[in-house]
Amino acid sequence: MRQRPERGALVEREPTHRRGVGALVVLALGVVLGLTVWHLPREHAPLSRVAREALVVALPGWHTLEPVNEVVYGTRGFDTFGETFLLLAAVVGIGLIARTREQRGEFLGEELAAAREQHAELASSDDAGPEVRARAAEAGEQGRGRGPATPDAEPLGRAWPERSRAMTVVVRAGVRVLAPLLTICGCYLFAWGYSPGGGFPGGAVLVGIVLLAYVSLGYRRVQRVIRPAPVEVAELLGALLVVAVELGGLIFKGSFSASFLPLGQVQTIPSGGVLQAFSASEVIEVATGLTLAIFGLLGMAHDWAPPAEHRDEGSSRAPEEGRAPS
Amino acid sequence: MIVVNYLASVTLLCIGLYAVLTKRNLLKIVMGLSLMESSTYLFLLSLAYRAGSTAPVLLGPPHGESPSALAHGDVADPVLQNICLTAIVIGVAVTGVFLAVTVRIVQHYRTLDADRVRELRG
Amino acid sequence: MSTALLGSLLPLTVAVPIVAAACCPIVARRSRRAPMLLSVVALLASGALLCCMAPSVYDGHVLVHFMGHWVPVQGHALGISFAADAWGLTYALMTAFLGALLVLSTLSELGELGPKELGGYSCLFLLLCAALIGAALTGDLFNLFVWFEVAALASYALTAFFLERAIALEAAFKVLVLTTIASFAIFLGAALVYSSTGALDLGEIERALSGRSGAPVALVALGLLVGGFATKAGILPFHGWLPDAHEAAPGPVSALFSGLMVNLGVVAIARLVFEVFTTGHGHDVLGLLMVLGVTSAVGGALLALVQDDLKRLLAYDTISQMGVLLVGLASASATGLAGASYHLVDHALFKALLFLCAGSIVHMTGATKLSEMGGLAKRYPLVAAAFVVGVLSISGVPPFNGYVSLGLIHEALRSRHELTPFVAMLVSQVVTMAALGRAAWLAFFAPPARGEVPPHGQDLRAGMAAAMIALSAGCLAFGVLPTVVLAHVAAPAAAALLHPAGYAGAVLASGGSIPPVRVSFDYWDPAAIATVVGTVVLAVPCAVLAGRVGERARAVTRRLQTGSVNDYAGYLVGGMVLTVAVLAR
Repeated sequence: MRQRPERGALVEREPTHRRGVGALVVLALGVVLGLTVWHLPREHAPLSRVAREALVVALPGWHTLEPVNEVVYGTRGFDTFGETFLLLAAVVGIGLIARTREQRGEFLGEELAAAREQHAELASSDDAGPEVRARAAEAGEQGRGRGPATPDAEPLGRAWPERSRAMTVVVRAGVRVLAPLLTICGCYLFAWGYSPGGGFPGGAVLVGIVLLAYVSLGYRRVQRVIRPAPVEVAELLGALLVVAVELGGLIFKGSFSASFLPLGQVQTIPSGGVLQAFSASEVIEVATGLTLAIFGLLGMAHDWAPPAEHRDEGSSRAPEEGRAPS
Repeated sequence: MIVVNYLASVTLLCIGLYAVLTKRNLLKIVMGLSLMESSTYLFLLSLAYRAGSTAPVLLGPPHGESPSALAHGDVADPVLQNICLTAIVIGVAVTGVFLAVTVRIVQHYRTLDADRVRELRG
Repeated sequence: MSTALLGSLLPLTVAVPIVAAACCPIVARRSRRAPMLLSVVALLASGALLCCMAPSVYDGHVLVHFMGHWVPVQGHALGISFAADAWGLTYALMTAFLGALLVLSTLSELGELGPKELGGYSCLFLLLCAALIGAALTGDLFNLFVWFEVAALASYALTAFFLERAIALEAAFKVLVLTTIASFAIFLGAALVYSSTGALDLGEIERALSGRSGAPVALVALGLLVGGFATKAGILPFHGWLPDAHEAAPGPVSALFSGLMVNLGVVAIARLVFEVFTTGHGHDVLGLLMVLGVTSAVGGALLALVQDDLKRLLAYDTISQMGVLLVGLASASATGLAGASYHLVDHALFKALLFLCAGSIVHMTGATKLSEMGGLAKRYPLVAAAFVVGVLSISGVPPFNGYVSLGLIHEALRSRHELTPFVAMLVSQVVTMAALGRAAWLAFFAPPARGEVPPHGQDLRAGMAAAMIALSAGCLAFGVLPTVVLAHVAAPAAAALLHPAGYAGAVLASGGSIPPVRVSFDYWDPAAIATVVGTVVLAVPCAVLAGRVGERARAVTRRLQTGSVNDYAGYLVGGMVLTVAVLAR
């Protein structure tokens, strides 16, 4: 352990953990991987047969000019199916981790164990200062007790997520003009499936627009529009649509993720058939899922403290973003 | 000279791994893992590259070729690019869960130092 | 049903739990218990579908289906295949039925939690089970990675479920870091395989590598893949996350992790080592697996011996049992592989039983450490009886199931004259028996160390009791019917692993069969009985000794298993470097 720097000395010491051992292990891995990549095929190697197959089958088999989309949503669509539910698992997981305390109907031995562990921990920590300051900051955020008047008045480094307040009129007007244009761009990315794009980038752009609105227009306005309950239903519907698209292949063509929608003409919106349907369901799921995840992260409050201390504070809380009305 | 890209991605991986192995700040560990993810994207896209090739897009083929001729010609690898897309989504999902868990740890332990988040040992 | 039709139903076994998972959070708003009931129905439906396929698969056929009818063109497969062979189908069947049982027990024990909590829990539980089934049945390397990632993401929030326990979040962070590094290793390994062979389908990779699997890039890829999946399986030194995750997670979730999720690592390693990279082409992956297995078996058992927390003790025992599985795999004989397959099923049964008992004690009394428990047998006789059944099964005492599977593995080692691993197995068994016997004694039968019995919060629920009885009956059933299980389940699984060319040919031809293999187990083999008697006799002084030196030994283990995530990551990466270096010499 290093000694504390003396008063007035401007020294920034990053706490580290066994730098020598770490450097040695990393160096060993670097040497091994470096030798391996030296022997990999380089840029003059021919394309693999499966890659050539993917390129060759794009136009005649799917009427699409975008082989990457064809591989992602069509030929290897089952991987993307798994990936959709990977994102769903992450979003539901973040929702679980960011949840508020709910009423429990009965005795739970784990709560006893938790109380015991928390008291042991707090008793062993020598500094109660951070806890007190953090709770004061939390109270200030929620309009109870004394806290900084604006986010600018609060010193950096406090352990609290800030709720966004609206920015100046220039920014707000700019966002109001740009947001519809950007939404159209996002929809264009997934609708024109024969040019580079697809469901994932489209969904990411739409989430970006929601965040833009949150940052510039402020938390209160966005809270009225983006409520967690309908967004969650939309996300699950998007996921179910993805399954439906894949199951359609099983029902109509006898194989999961087969192409069962008619292929349109080349260079038109419905040109990929199932590719477009998959891409559209994906955009719904990704956009709503990432919105839920981000607002869940922003809305985490500390109400999982030891039971004796916090029950009365929890009940007098104002309703906030991320809470399902119960 | 794509081997330069390969070695660069290995270097980035090692830098990220060094952060994970030695930094005690939880957020720096998360950033180290994020850096390792980015290095894998670089590695995959470099693997997909072929000398003098064009992107695997048949819309608007260069040099006045027809799309089907381009599909048989000098193009980069679309399968690896598909794999890279999947990896990007995995990276986003994992980083989101990481940040949620880190915020909860700070709420409980009131510290970002990994050496003080050590209740479970032995 | 024709095999083609059966094959096209293979993806439904994964899709049905996934659809139910997507419906769970919505259904939870209507009624608290509805998502759990939905989960049970979905998993049983998936299990029923798998049972339809079981007769033809256990007859030696490999059911293959290429998604979207994208069959291989001239031996090159762009599409993704599902290939159900006996090894994967055993694991998938176990996941579906044991998963349903664990959801039932959760429903009864934790059924009064909030609706949002239950909805999220069921959704993640179902996604985890679906991912495990998908990984067992898939025939494509990248698809295996995708299902591995889905399982990992579902497990993170399940570990951190009880947010009031600070240790749950600490454990979740460590699981996150270590599993993410492992997933990078698997990803890099898959990319290296693709770039050197140009194939992603397992059968096509086997063909491309046959005879060439001694190439350095392929060996590095194998090392990275083995290291990544070994992290999931909790093999020493990749095990850092396992004790923490099991200690902090709810009881049924720990049962799921130990009984099903860690086995995914071993299933994947077996598939890659035996059916894809194949053994004996100028590389010594079997020797590596033997060393890893022996280290985990002995190390895990020794670490379990000195633990005070009950669930942590069981978690270290999981590490030890995974080591035993790897030793069985590394023997590479029909008997050894059949023993490993049998032990996979047995371990799921008895470990789930032990974790359900431990979890229910935490839930009913709030006591987590052995030093706080004592004399619980009078108050909870059923839990005590179930725990004793689990301990007898792990120790390999007849008539329970551990006797058969451990006996098969020991016989495989003896017949190949591998004395050092055999002695190490015996040592690990003695120590395991001592550790678990001591745990059972201290928790249930000895008088409470602190003078007072822990408080009683609630009674044992009917669903949980039914689950414990069902699992105990399963342990007994698999112990007294060895010939049936061997002939119809374990031997076909071993055959599937021993015929890589048959597997690869079947995958590329969309169907095929594998010649059977004969394995027999002599129940009254004097060597096996002598082993059991000897280990029981040696375990008692071992347990007494452990009680004496417990505190000092715990100080030593705290220097090794330091609790710092940097250290665990260091062990993992160091182990990975050694694995790759040993293979790619």
